[in-house]
Amino acid sequence: MFRRFSRRDFLGSAVFAAASPIFEVKALRGVNFLLQNSPTTHKYLIETMPGGVALLDYNNDGLLDIFFVNGGKIAGALRAPENFERNDPRYWNRLYRQNRDGSFTDVTQAAGLGNAGSGNYGMGVAIGDYDNDGYPDIYVTNYGKNILYHNNGDGTFTDVTAKAGVATGGWGVSSGFFDYDNDGHLDLFVTRYMEWDADHNKICGGEWHTYCPPAEFPATTNVLYRNRGDGTFEDVSKKSGIAAKKGRALGVAFADYDEDGFTDIFVSNDGMQQYLYHNNGDGTFKECALEAGLALTADGKGLSGMGTVFQDYDNDGRPDVLVTVLPRELYALYHNDGDGSFTYKSLEAGLGTLTSGSSGWGVGFEDFDNDGWKDLFVAQSHVLDNVEKIDASLRYKELPLLALNHQGRFERADSGITTPLAARGAAFGDINNDGWIDVVVSTLGGPPVLLLNRGGGDNHWLSITLRGTRSNRDGYGARVSVNGQTRFASSAGSYICANDKRLHFGLGSTEKASVEVLWPSGAKQLLNDVRANQFLEVREPERP
Amino acid sequence: MIRLAMFLWLTGQAATADSAQQHMLAGLEARKQHQVDLEITEFRKAIDADPNSAAAFAQLGAAYMEKRDYASAISSAKRALELNPELVIADQVLGYALLAQGYAAEAIPHLQRAGAQDALGIAQIQTGQLTDAVANFTVVIAQRPNDPDVLYYLGHASGLLSKSAIDTLLAHYPDSARAHQALAENYFVLRQMPQAEKEYEEALRLRPDLPGLHLELGQVYANSAQWLKAEEEFRAEIKLQPGSAEAAYRLGSALLQQGKPHEAHMELERADRLKADMPETLYALGKAASLDGDVVTAEKAWTKVVELEKTTSLAAQAHFGLAGLYRKQGKSAQAQHEMQEFQKLQSTIGPPRSE
Repeated sequence: MFRRFSRRDFLGSAVFAAASPIFEVKALRGVNFLLQNSPTTHKYLIETMPGGVALLDYNNDGLLDIFFVNGGKIAGALRAPENFERNDPRYWNRLYRQNRDGSFTDVTQAAGLGNAGSGNYGMGVAIGDYDNDGYPDIYVTNYGKNILYHNNGDGTFTDVTAKAGVATGGWGVSSGFFDYDNDGHLDLFVTRYMEWDADHNKICGGEWHTYCPPAEFPATTNVLYRNRGDGTFEDVSKKSGIAAKKGRALGVAFADYDEDGFTDIFVSNDGMQQYLYHNNGDGTFKECALEAGLALTADGKGLSGMGTVFQDYDNDGRPDVLVTVLPRELYALYHNDGDGSFTYKSLEAGLGTLTSGSSGWGVGFEDFDNDGWKDLFVAQSHVLDNVEKIDASLRYKELPLLALNHQGRFERADSGITTPLAARGAAFGDINNDGWIDVVVSTLGGPPVLLLNRGGGDNHWLSITLRGTRSNRDGYGARVSVNGQTRFASSAGSYICANDKRLHFGLGSTEKASVEVLWPSGAKQLLNDVRANQFLEVREPERP
Repeated sequence: MIRLAMFLWLTGQAATADSAQQHMLAGLEARKQHQVDLEITEFRKAIDADPNSAAAFAQLGAAYMEKRDYASAISSAKRALELNPELVIADQVLGYALLAQGYAAEAIPHLQRAGAQDALGIAQIQTGQLTDAVANFTVVIAQRPNDPDVLYYLGHASGLLSKSAIDTLLAHYPDSARAHQALAENYFVLRQMPQAEKEYEEALRLRPDLPGLHLELGQVYANSAQWLKAEEEFRAEIKLQPGSAEAAYRLGSALLQQGKPHEAHMELERADRLKADMPETLYALGKAASLDGDVVTAEKAWTKVVELEKTTSLAAQAHFGLAGLYRKQGKSAQAQHEMQEFQKLQSTIGPPRSE
């Protein structure tokens, strides 16, 4: 006999069909940070480019803290040398310590991270334990001079830029720590956008004054610093080959794409071809994006490359690349074919329908629903704050893109955000340690937005913290495989942000995991029958 | 006596005619030498010698035209026509001179008689006879296809005619499907997609079977990145017009954009069958076939694009596609060659940039 379909059954199925948003949009309790980008009628390009967010546990209490990079004050017409009034607390970068109850406390002043230098307009942040003392250090990029803050391990930081020799100069944007020579010391890569200063600003746009396209200004070089292991760095940009090519770089991410044991570098450039620096393993790099098939779109066109991520989205064990861009392009997804080359897969992956009308900045491949497939999140907003006057079909503020990964194909999902944002940075991590990945998004002229993953469901997870011994202490550059999924250890990627360094894996319905770690030192570690739903520290064997 | 007088008069007439003829020839020679003032002097002398010479007045008018002395040209040409209403060159001079002075309506009958279709077209534009102007320039363009002035005036006349027709449509039939279609097209050009969508929908409500509406609405959706809706509209258009190669191409492109390479491949092949050798269709076909794993079709389509386009950006894209195709097949030499061709074209048409 057929059971009569009851009203309750109907309501039940309706609730199932209309699934709740993945995230709950929350204010960060105790965080009163406002990203001061100071938009002016002069349309200085720097105004539309900040602000970085870092998720780090600076005091090693097991809770993620948050560092925000601020822009600066621009009151009117700028003249070099500029002064962005970074001594005014409204324009400070800010560090917030997470408390046990999930609230945050502003510890900027106590930590010694207040004034960020009068000529510095803030951009991004990188996190890494460059001196292997067990405490994460902070590197801040600026239009001006960059700053390296050493974490003293007692809740305070010291500006060691001069001693370390990493001020760079120019317009620093995204940066990241990685160990390119596998010597156990984290090196530093800094992208620079272009040669620009207030005295060489240009007026662009017709009837509507707009931010200039990047091609209006000369390209510039990126910078690679080798960590000498004594608290100082050597600028090896020229001798490594990194400075051989100029570009207009905005994003950077690291992974060993050809499995030769050395970490390679992907750089997203704005309005031109992208760069893939292959690590030759002898201290030099060769830029090979065109040969490898990820310099241009499938149509041979350049990209307005902004954010980027270098992780394996289709669980074939090889790191793929995604680049966020402007509307009328598609976010470019390059699939790593395993033969040293990549194939443009934006259309097959469903990004043609999801992204052709949007502008993307911060980006992450993270498994938000713990089903074993890395999903896609993009902080979105057009670069021009008056774009709607120029093109009525475009929007300045946008909703972020959340797309769930169904075996390599992405489908839009409800992020939970209902109000469009002028979003820029996006940092990913498990803020409340519940086993579900959260997101912090920075917004121009506004407060940060916390997207707290609602979690729930029956899927399991595993979060791995690497503890390098022969390798760098953070384990950056390690390849970690869990039940057929792979992550490349790095806190870099996205756009001007630093992610939680812990490696998160969704396990689906599986309660046990098999973990394989290939350390930068070459050590291989296998752990079987690892229990799901735990934060696991994996320590590198001290002997080969 | 009478005979003598008659003889003397006739002899004098002949002498006058000879003299007028000589000045006429001298005037024409001066024209060849671009000596306009001498030209005028000689034609005046010809008139002095023979005040009833329509040809002399007409040539004098032409000389004044060269000097841009349009008032004098008008006066000379009018006198020439009084003397000989059939003198085509006088009509031509008078028509051009009147037009130059802004008397377009008066110029028209003279230009018509002179068969000066280009000037006639201009006069017709100025008097609002747009249909006639377009017809005249269509004839002229067939004779002088590379004349920038003719191309300009044909475009200008067509644009004005189009605007005039649309203005009439909107004024007299504002609630018609065509009026909504016209408004929608305008919004589309202005990139005001929501308004364009609304107008197309209204047009379709009024006349659901009107060819072209679904195609255009599909393009609105495509422009707003609403690919699924675009696909629906292109399919609706194909239902109405199964033989439309453009609808097939647009549908194939929408399917491609949605990551449906096999369906796109099939539809683009159909578009190619409906209208062969369209470079955009062939390029998209190559792309869809490549994604669909049909490297033979992809290679064939892109090679054809290169043949057809040679040095355009689409040719560069096809070279780039072929380079990728060969690289994946392990054909390194061919891949390298195509990449070189791509780079060669990029260096001439500009570096690869975002759209």
